[in-house]
Amino acid sequence: MIKKFSLAVLSILLCAFFAACGDDNSTSTDQHEHFEVEGWNLYWPDWSLAYSVYRGKIDEKHNELHVNANCLSEHLNIKFLDENKKEVAGPKDDEHTLGWEVGDKKILDIEWEGGWGFHLKGVKEGKTTLILKVNHHDHADARTPEISIIVDKALKAEECPFQEDEDED
Amino acid sequence: MKTNLLRVAIGSLLCGGFLPFSFAQEFVQDLGSETIEDDNPTQALLEGLREEDDLRDEKLERELSTTIAETIRNEPDVAIRSMGPAAARPVIKGLSGSHVEVTEDGSFSGDMSATSPDHAVASEVLTAHRLRVLRGPRILLYSYSAAGGVVQVERGDIPFNDSLFNGFVTWYAENGQPGYATAAGMSASAMGVSVKGEISGRHMGDLHTPTGKLKNTQIDNGSGAVGAAYKLGQFRLGASFRWFDSDYGIPGGFIGGHPNGVDISLWKRDLTLRGLYLPTKAKQDTLDVTMRINRYHHTEFEGAGAVGAEFAVNQENLRLEKVMANPGPLFGVRLGAELDSRSVKMGGYVFTPPTRSYAATAFAAASLGGWRGLEMTFSGRFGGAFFRPHESVVADKDALEDRDFALWALDAEFSQRVGLGKFLTFDIFRTTRAPTIEELYNQGPHLAAYTYEKGDSKLDAESGYGAELEYRSYGEFVSWRVAAHGTWFTNHLAPRATGDTNWSQLLPIYRVRGDEALLYGASASAQTVAEQGLRAATSASYVRGVFRDTDWGDMPQIPPFKIHGELGYIWQHLQTSVYSDFALAQRFVDKYEEETPSYIIFGFIIEIRWKLALAHYSLVFRADNLLDADVRNHLSRLKSIMPEKGRNFSILANMKF
Repeated sequence: MIKKFSLAVLSILLCAFFAACGDDNSTSTDQHEHFEVEGWNLYWPDWSLAYSVYRGKIDEKHNELHVNANCLSEHLNIKFLDENKKEVAGPKDDEHTLGWEVGDKKILDIEWEGGWGFHLKGVKEGKTTLILKVNHHDHADARTPEISIIVDKALKAEECPFQEDEDED
Repeated sequence: MKTNLLRVAIGSLLCGGFLPFSFAQEFVQDLGSETIEDDNPTQALLEGLREEDDLRDEKLERELSTTIAETIRNEPDVAIRSMGPAAARPVIKGLSGSHVEVTEDGSFSGDMSATSPDHAVASEVLTAHRLRVLRGPRILLYSYSAAGGVVQVERGDIPFNDSLFNGFVTWYAENGQPGYATAAGMSASAMGVSVKGEISGRHMGDLHTPTGKLKNTQIDNGSGAVGAAYKLGQFRLGASFRWFDSDYGIPGGFIGGHPNGVDISLWKRDLTLRGLYLPTKAKQDTLDVTMRINRYHHTEFEGAGAVGAEFAVNQENLRLEKVMANPGPLFGVRLGAELDSRSVKMGGYVFTPPTRSYAATAFAAASLGGWRGLEMTFSGRFGGAFFRPHESVVADKDALEDRDFALWALDAEFSQRVGLGKFLTFDIFRTTRAPTIEELYNQGPHLAAYTYEKGDSKLDAESGYGAELEYRSYGEFVSWRVAAHGTWFTNHLAPRATGDTNWSQLLPIYRVRGDEALLYGASASAQTVAEQGLRAATSASYVRGVFRDTDWGDMPQIPPFKIHGELGYIWQHLQTSVYSDFALAQRFVDKYEEETPSYIIFGFIIEIRWKLALAHYSLVFRADNLLDADVRNHLSRLKSIMPEKGRNFSILANMKF
């Protein structure tokens, strides 16, 4: 009787364990690769270079960006540089998005309409910094060093070099 | 003194430790006649006395906190590595991670807590019957890491005791991290069949610190166990099933952390089968076979519920151990072997390939009487660890190399009784450990450390040689011990700065490598032994670690000097204590590590215990950090944003029957 009872208890424990988890304990998500880049090139709409950094070294001829207060800059296009300094496009999936950190939000804002490009938006005259990121969910796969941004004197809307409707054209 | 030693000896008899049965009987008789024969085994006595350091019963109730690490925080040489209140793991003699093994009921505790500071130890402290920091040669019965240690959690899930009926109900609440925990358990035995059931729950909110609430530090745990044992002649057969579920938060906002923190959800399932053979003539000469099947699952959710990291661990372990109390000139002999199989699968942003590993181990320990009362205990652990990584999108194919490690560790402890109740021991050891799969194969950012870590599949096993000198004195009024230790690592595995940068994330690249390193330190503790009247206790620990190759530069994550002192009074049913904890500032830091300021905190404890209708009741009131001091734990990743828990009032109510 007792032997049967013990065997029954043991069997229940075994069944409970294997029913609870068995060998099905596996991951529900795949491992994801990071989008790894070694450098960033930012281009103006005419594909002239606006800013460049490769392996932490900033191109001295293109080391800062300008925008006037009260104005939007022209659209800046982002190209990434791989380990051979070859330009590659940004990821096209929905999981990666452009992210940024502005040093002083009272001086600069960013206008982003999706994709791998953006506008600088001068808020008030001054100097600040901008860090661009490739966000992947809640963390950044890649980031730039601090980009020096100079917001020049304020202009009236109609005097801004770039008018918003130009984008639509 | 008499009472204390008597308790120890009887405790050892019951626990079936190193203390041979015949000796223990003689020893108890000797105590009665106030003479202790010279030929009584010092080692056996020491083992019994060391068990007095364990946290159990009243001592455990007094120290009980949110986690195992918090609960043993005042033990000599122990510190806490943490990343929020849930993710806390013990550090012993400055060594953490896989240098510190956690076991539950004598078998491995399967989780991922050794691999990252944000991973919690998957074990509920409220249901522990005993916590023990294993020292000396017996470490090698469970781990190769003689320089670190083993933290044993005992619950007796398989009810081999034959008590007719017993149980407990425990309830804990505090306001420092507002919430409560409760546990209840029961075991019964009749006609050779014993059964046990236990359940617990913990719900705690965000941590309150002197500078505000630390968001996303909540803890929700649930655990339980069922077990059964059957007595069949000279055999005891048993099985248990334990489950543990936890949802906890890791705060964000600090360097390397996720901006909004991470929510971690984990579960663990353990099925343990155990068989015990007790010979008719020598009941202490047991043969013990334990099989544990472990399943562990861990998911980290980033903002918007996206899975940031996922781990699935499937582990099986078979352990065989033969105890021989008095074979010839030896005593306390333990011989055993272990077979282990472990599979780790990863998902999300984990940059270690899925890996299957195997291990086969033989271990032995024995004591031997020597010249003029000098006694020796030898232990050894020998075996192999075999790693088989699988292809993965995150793995560098050239680094996906199968690795096999031959491992051996030895320990010899020499003990001399230098007077009545006075013991001098000298312990020398060789320590080792196989690299972890992260150390071998990881290639990616380690956000918790703000580094980009590269493993090295060519690593050799960690190895080193160490020694510890300990003096223990058990007097009529005061018991005290003092110890100094040092370990020279010929190959200490740790991530070290390479000077290179990962240009994508702009993180410094650390590569795991083996370096020569020296760890040395000391600890001391003292306490009064009176069971009524004035009571005082104190403990202090210091450790320092340096790397040879960086001109003796400091190792990272080494705890500062700390001291704990208590003064109290014991009445029959009431005990009161005031206490203080003080830690020096830690200025011996690694290149990229921040210094940590000193702190001092004060608190008091009131304990009430009584017996009524065959049940024991206890109430423990604690007031911790009464002055709401700003405490920064050097081993906490959160120290840069928030201090530790502020002023905290807690109550523990316990009933045992």
